[in-house]
This record gives sequence, structure tokens and C-alpha cells, in this order.
Amino acid sequence: MTEQLPPDRHPRQQRDAHLHVQDIESQTSVQGGYEAMLGGLSFDDSRGRRLGVTFWCAIGWMGLVLVAAVAAPWLPLADPDQTGFGGRLDPPSGDAWFGTDGNGRDVFSRTVWGARISLVVGFVAIVMGMAFGGTLGILAGYFRGTVDRLASFLMFALLAFPGLVLALLFIASLGPSLTVVSLTLGILAIAPVGRLARAATLLYAEREFVQAARVLGAGHGRIIVRELLPNVLVPMSGLALLGMAITVVAEGGLAFLGLSVADGFSWGKLIVMGAAPRTLRDGPWVAMFPIGAMFLTVLALNYAGDRLRWYLDVRELAFER
Amino acid sequence: MSATPSPSGPVGPLLSVRDLGVTFRTPDGDVRAVDGVSFDLAEGRTLGIVGESGSGKSVTAKALMNLLPSYADVEGTITFDGRDVRALATARERHFWGVELTMVFQDPMTSLNPVKRIGEQIAECLRVHLGRSRRDASAAALDLLERVGIPEPRKRLRQYPHELSGGLRQRVVIAMALACGPRLLIADEPTTALDVTVQKHILDLLDDLRRERGMSMVLITHDLGVVKGRADDVMVMYGGRTMEHAASGPLFTAMRHPYTSALLETIPRIDAAAHARLVPIAGRPPNPSELGPWCPFAPRCGSRVEACTVEAPPLVDDGTGHRSACFAPLGAGEA
Amino acid sequence: MAGSGDAHLRDPGAFDDVVLRVENLVQEFPAGGTVGRLAGRRAVVHAVSDVSLDVRRGETLGVVGESGCGKSTTARAIVQMPRPTSGRVLLGPGTDDEVDLAATGGSALREVRPRLQMIFQDPISSLNPRRSVRDIVGEGLAVWSSASDGPHQEARVDEVLRAVGIDPAVAATRRAHQFSGGQCQRISIARAVVLDPEVLICDEPVSALDVSVQAQILNLLEDMKDRYGLTLVFISHDLSVVRNVSDRVAVMYLGKLCEVGDADAIYERPAHPYTRALLASAPEPAPSVDPSEAAVGDEVPSPIDPPSGCRFRTRCPRAVERCAVEEPVLRAVGDDHHVACHFPSLWPSS
Repeated sequence: MTEQLPPDRHPRQQRDAHLHVQDIESQTSVQGGYEAMLGGLSFDDSRGRRLGVTFWCAIGWMGLVLVAAVAAPWLPLADPDQTGFGGRLDPPSGDAWFGTDGNGRDVFSRTVWGARISLVVGFVAIVMGMAFGGTLGILAGYFRGTVDRLASFLMFALLAFPGLVLALLFIASLGPSLTVVSLTLGILAIAPVGRLARAATLLYAEREFVQAARVLGAGHGRIIVRELLPNVLVPMSGLALLGMAITVVAEGGLAFLGLSVADGFSWGKLIVMGAAPRTLRDGPWVAMFPIGAMFLTVLALNYAGDRLRWYLDVRELAFER
Repeated sequence: MSATPSPSGPVGPLLSVRDLGVTFRTPDGDVRAVDGVSFDLAEGRTLGIVGESGSGKSVTAKALMNLLPSYADVEGTITFDGRDVRALATARERHFWGVELTMVFQDPMTSLNPVKRIGEQIAECLRVHLGRSRRDASAAALDLLERVGIPEPRKRLRQYPHELSGGLRQRVVIAMALACGPRLLIADEPTTALDVTVQKHILDLLDDLRRERGMSMVLITHDLGVVKGRADDVMVMYGGRTMEHAASGPLFTAMRHPYTSALLETIPRIDAAAHARLVPIAGRPPNPSELGPWCPFAPRCGSRVEACTVEAPPLVDDGTGHRSACFAPLGAGEA
Repeated sequence: MAGSGDAHLRDPGAFDDVVLRVENLVQEFPAGGTVGRLAGRRAVVHAVSDVSLDVRRGETLGVVGESGCGKSTTARAIVQMPRPTSGRVLLGPGTDDEVDLAATGGSALREVRPRLQMIFQDPISSLNPRRSVRDIVGEGLAVWSSASDGPHQEARVDEVLRAVGIDPAVAATRRAHQFSGGQCQRISIARAVVLDPEVLICDEPVSALDVSVQAQILNLLEDMKDRYGLTLVFISHDLSVVRNVSDRVAVMYLGKLCEVGDADAIYERPAHPYTRALLASAPEPAPSVDPSEAAVGDEVPSPIDPPSGCRFRTRCPRAVERCAVEEPVLRAVGDDHHVACHFPSLWPSS
């Protein structure tokens, strides 16, 4: 359809009742700026938002770390466990970029290899937090009532339980394997992710588009997956990056307690080893380079997470009252 | 534009605004919210400012009240009773706002403190601005509540804002605005949040108070029906600019701007037949970020000529104080 | 007023084209916060109390009243969101397809839902910000048809989008925040009509729009009614808008009906003092009432503790003792004109 107005109903109203795209585009040519405004009449395409150079630097750093960690076995690196690669506590040089440690092992190679375990722990933990916490939170926020009370109780219980005690309990009884460390940190991530997912779901479940889907006859599963999930994932994706940063640091903390992964080494463990008083005095680079790598990665994760959340938060106030 | 006299009486204007412009500096770019607004308001008169969202009517009011955020650049002059109010510097001079010039907002809760009793809030105005004693102020608060038509005023003094209905809250806000005997009251959509049966009472109350105290009033609304018969002068704004400004009578009966006319004709009438076809205005109001040097209404205008898309028509006075900004004003070719 | 009763419902024997009939609808919510509940008080908000309505095919029923009168609650109770406390909501009463929505649940309720659609007040909030316009409008089809219908569905979405004045070629892949309020409301209308519903409930569809855009949407609704054979229940606080769209009008106050009947009768011969006050309070009062009749108090009683007898009596200029004791029941005062008042304004029948 378009025009059902009788012609000449009103002398000054010669234009279509529904000025839409075609009308606009078929109009006689006018000034550039004015034309732009006609475009604006129908659609507001101007996002006006940029992620910015810093964001891409952060992404670049994370990409570099990720690629290095994944490709470590194939990179022309010294064997990280090979003692006597250089002398004892050699300072950084052309051969050993980050110097060598007390056993003459290449710190650069060890930092790259250390990223593997740190990233795996961070990733597994946050994926677990997202999967369990996210599901719990969305169900609680959507169904409310009894489901909400149960889920909230569970999350409060997890929050109330001292995280360190839980980690000690699990790792001491199950042994400090990669799986146990990752899963322990994952359990600790469930409650914060769940709280956020629940809050976001509560916000969106009230919105008319969810009610409209119900009126159309969509079932609960469809509403959760099609209507709620895409919206709830936005704040969650930001939190995931922040959470990964927190987990990487937490793993370092566990390493200080001697609770990190037994076989192999993470950044945390490298820092602990480099932080022995004599090593720190004679070869500060042994601790400094893993610390630097962890610092930059955590900074990048935090910044990217924050920026991403801001960027994805679409402007819904296309018009104001 | 030139300092055109507005259609107010022979008395010198109480409020005089010249070339008011407001630009918001936002991360997404500069937004020109108000552009070249000039008007005079004489003592004891009511000016109705009518516009839709994004028309700049509320920003104009906030500029008058010095309530714009720090990222807003304000240009032009605002003269109140001969004083350039934008140049007021000292704290004592700034008492001018809230005493001589006060404002009533759309949402009464904007002006009310939810955790303070009504009586305390009104009395506080009097004590802070006029230096009244505690006892004096309470007595005056009671009088004010009575005057704005609040039933059982003694009981209300002891109540909190949430215990009152929306209409009563707005009456309390009006009482607070009147507390210091202002000479100009700015009412920004004072009844939009209220029910229709309450709306009329509040508007009538404002009108009575204005007459009784010889105040001037600026009544800002999106609804032409609200200012009809209440305002002496009406200024129609669109896209940050003044479209038309005239005495109430000529504006409604001999409007010259196509926007004013279209707005009046597009509103359903309560006395029309059921299913009467409405006369729509194509398109939508512009976002302030889409504005340019052309006439903001041009894309939706049935009388548009080529010039409208190049530059905005100046606001021209026809000699009787009826000002309009249009290259092809209504009634020009007919009579 | 406090109008109970069903004298205004059309006799199913005489009218076989009633598509929606609401009988004795009651909606109550637990009131107050935790404090009240902890103290053992079980206050109840009487949001809708014993409201009956019916709509004939192709008719527009306007429901008008002020905030808190229960008009939106009624709309939501009709679509069972949330379910009413009691009462019946009959789709296609007296036909083979008769369904009482209030007595249906689960997948049976889901299956009748396409027959009754709704559009909401807030155009922005009505559209999922993460989905494209095509997905939003096609959602109803996607829920109810198999994957093989793809091309047919796309054609249908295009057709409906064109019908509401949105060009699918340009708009279909965009998201809601790229549209203005009026355009969002067009998209909402497209989503609602894509399943060919029998009844469309419009809950304040133009209240959030700019004045200069309202007429477009009101005209569009009229066009859609013709084009898709819709029956409308149109809820609004705006008397002029209701006047424009309605064949029949129901005036509500504090959860009850005051006056129901033919739109011309209600606007030209208003009988209930509340209807008269509403008409007199409009910025441009209706010619059928005296502007002085707007003088009713500001204080709307709480729906937690509504007045006894007639609920309007606390603000009514005609209230006498009887109004506090005896609840007026809807009764006929003219052809298709019913009022719940002991002392209605009577007009010489014309």
C-alpha cells in the first residue's frame, strides 16, 4: 500500500502519508548536507562510535600472546626445560632475549611456554563460569519464582564460601593438576557471572519485545535463545574478558601458595620461582619478564572487555520523547 | 537576526532573549540544540512555547534557568529586568534563580526530595532564599499549600512526597516555586505526566496564580491545545529554531507557517466524526544531530521551495508583531 | 460508577459475529512490599474488578480511562500476561472455534495465540535491539511454520512490511535502533499482523510518539483494519484519539466500567458523570458537556482499598448516600448505550 488519502484532500498535503525510503530517494536532487538529512529522515546509520587504536593494540597483544602460546612447540625456541642453555642468571642478550634463570634456562622460551598454562586455566575457568553461571542466571531471571530462589540461593552460597578455602580444599584433596586448577577457578567464576546474567535477563525479560514473542506463541526455549540470549551475551562478553584477567591473576596467587599446576609451569609459577630473594637480587629479569607478560595481558583483557561492552551497547534512544 | 520586538504590550520586557544558541559537545560530535532564538516577554504575560521532541523548547528553558550541563555551549544574551543574567557571577547574585525566576518540571519528583517532609522542603526554600525564621517559614508553607488548593494542608506538611498523588505533588512543586514570590515562572510540560482530569486543574491554578501575583509565565508544552486560550503569545519551535511567534489569537486563526498549520490539522479532534481520515505530516521530527543551515521542517513540508533546502528562512516580522520563518508563508499568495 | 453487570454485552443469538468476549474479568495482585507481607497483612490491589466486554468482527472498541483505571491491565489479562484472577476470555464465542483463553494453558494456549495479537506503547522497547527487522517481523511465521516455507515466508514478510510503509529492500536487514519511534511502531504492527490475527489489541500505540507522527500511525491502523480484516481493541488515555478510531467505547475508572456503548452516543450524549468530567477536561472540551463539569477532585482513591458502592463517588458531584451503599449496575439508557450510575444524565432519545 501507500497512499489511501484521497487526492487533494488537503491542498498543502501533497506528499505521501508515509514518507519512506523510496520517496526520499526519488526526491529531486538537493544540497549535499540537506540530502544527508533526508537520509537521516529514514535511518540513523551514524553509529558515531569507534573502538579506537588502544583497543586494537590490546587485541593485537592478546593475539600475539595467543599465537605464541599455541605455536610454541613449532617456534624456533630453546627447550624451556633445557638447563645450561646459557650461563647461570645471564642478563638479557641477543642470544637469550629475556636472559636466563638460575639453572641457565632461557627465560624468553619459558615465558612463551608459561602462557600456555596461564591461558588455558583462564579460558577453561571462564567458559565454565559462562556456561553454568550464565545458564543459571538466565533461567533465574526468566522464570523468576521458585527457580530464581533456588538459583539465587546457590549463587549466594558460592559467593559466601571463601574462594581461597575452596581452592585449597579441592586442590589439596584432588591434586594440583591442570584440570583441577581450571575447574576450581571455574567454580569460583559461576556466581559472579550468574549474578550478572540474572540481572541482565531481569532487565530484558520485562521488555515488550519478550512479551510480543509470547503473544506470537513462541515457547520458553525459543524466547530464551532468540530474544534474551543475544542481549544478555553483550554484558557477559565484556565480563568474560575481565573474568579471564582475574583468573590469570588468581592462578598466579595460587602459585604463590604452591597450589598451581604441578607438572609444567604457568606465568604465576615462573614469577614465584623468580621471586626467590637471591634470584631477585642477582637476576631480576627472571621474574620481571613473566610479570610484564602477565601485566600486559591482564591490562589488555580488562581494557578490551570494558571497551567492547561500551561498543556493543547499542544506542536505543534513536528518538527521545 | 535583528532584535525584533515581540508581540508583547507597550511595557518594557521583563525577559529579553537575543540570538540564544545552545550547542552540546558530545563524544559523537557537536549537537546544535537551539539556534538563534529571540523573544521578549512583558511583565504579567504568558508565553507558550510549543514543540515536539528535539525542538529545543526544553533546552531553551534550561538555558534561561542556567541548568544546562557543563558540556553545553551557550551563546546570545538573556536579559531579565535589565540585567544580563549570564554575567551574574557572585553567589548572592545567583540567588536570582529560585527567587525571581523559578521553574516547574514535568516530573514533580525532580524537584522533591523523597526523604524529606513536604513542609520542611517548602520552608527550606523560604529560609535559604529569604532568610525567614523557622516558625515564619512553616506558617508561610501552610499558607502556600492552602493557596495551591491542597486539601488538609496541615496534614500534608507532615507527609512525604510518595504519600501524595501525582496531581498533589505537582501542586506542592508549584507551591515551592511560588514560595519566594518569583516574577517569572517557567513551567516545562507541567501537566504531561498527569491525568487529563488533573491537568486542567493544574493549568487553571497556574493561570490564577499568575494573574493574582502579576507574574510572567513561560509555559512549555508539546500540546497546542494546552496553550490555546491560556497563553498571550505562542512561539512554535521545531528543530531548534523558532518557526512562528505571534499573539495567541492570530497564531491559531491566521497562522503563517506551514508547520503550525500542519500540526493543528494533524491532531484528532474530539468533536470530529469517528474514523475521520487524519491529515498526517510525512516523516518524523529531526534528530538535533541532523540539523544544518537549511529549514529543519523542509523535508516534511508541503510548501517547500528550492531555497528552503539551502538556507533557513529568517524570522520576519510582518509589522504587527507576528513573526514567522518561512520562504513560502501561508496566505501570502491568496489575499 | 463501579459498574458491574453485563447488560451491555451483545446477545450471541442476535449477533453471531462477536469475535472476542470478556466475561467478569477480575485481576488482583498482592500489594505492598516485604514489610506488609512480613507483618502478615495481605493487601490486594483490585486492578480490574468484574469487567465484561465484547467486540464484533471488524469493529474497533476503544477503552478509555486515566492511569490506574485498569485499561492496560485488562488488555494484558486478555492475552493472559499475566493470567486473570478469574473470568472468561472467549475467542470466537458461540462458534466451533470457541476457546476460553483463561481456561487454556500450555501448548494449547500457545496454539491459539496467533488469533489474538498485541502492539505496545513503547515502540523502541517493543523491538529486540539485536535482531534484524526481517527476523522480528518473520518471528511469528518462524514459530509456526516448517523450515521449507522459507521463500514463502520471506515474501509474506516483504508484503507486510510494504503494507506498513517500510521498504523491505532497504530496511529488512537493519536493526531497531536505526529507526525512529514512528517507524518502530510500524514494524511492531507488521509483526502483529503477519499471522493474520482476528483481534489486535493496541495498548496506547501512539502515546509515546511525537504529535506530528501520531496521525500517520492512526491512519495506518485504519488501513490495516481494512486490508487484513482486523478487529481492534484500542486502549488509550487520549479522548480525541479514541474518538477517531472507535466504533464503540468503554470508559473505565478504578478497575470498573462506567459507561459502554456506541462511540457517537458516548461522545455526544455522555451520561456518566465521570465520562462527562473526562470530556470536559480535554484541552478542547467536547461540545456535549459544560467545561465546568471538569471540576472533580484530584484525589483518585487507592485500588488497594477502593470506595464502597460506586467507586467514583468520592469525586462525583452527584454522589449521595445511596452511592456508598449500592453499587450501580450497567443498564441501558439508549440504543447500545449503557451506564453504571444511579443518577446518569439522560438525553431525550433521538
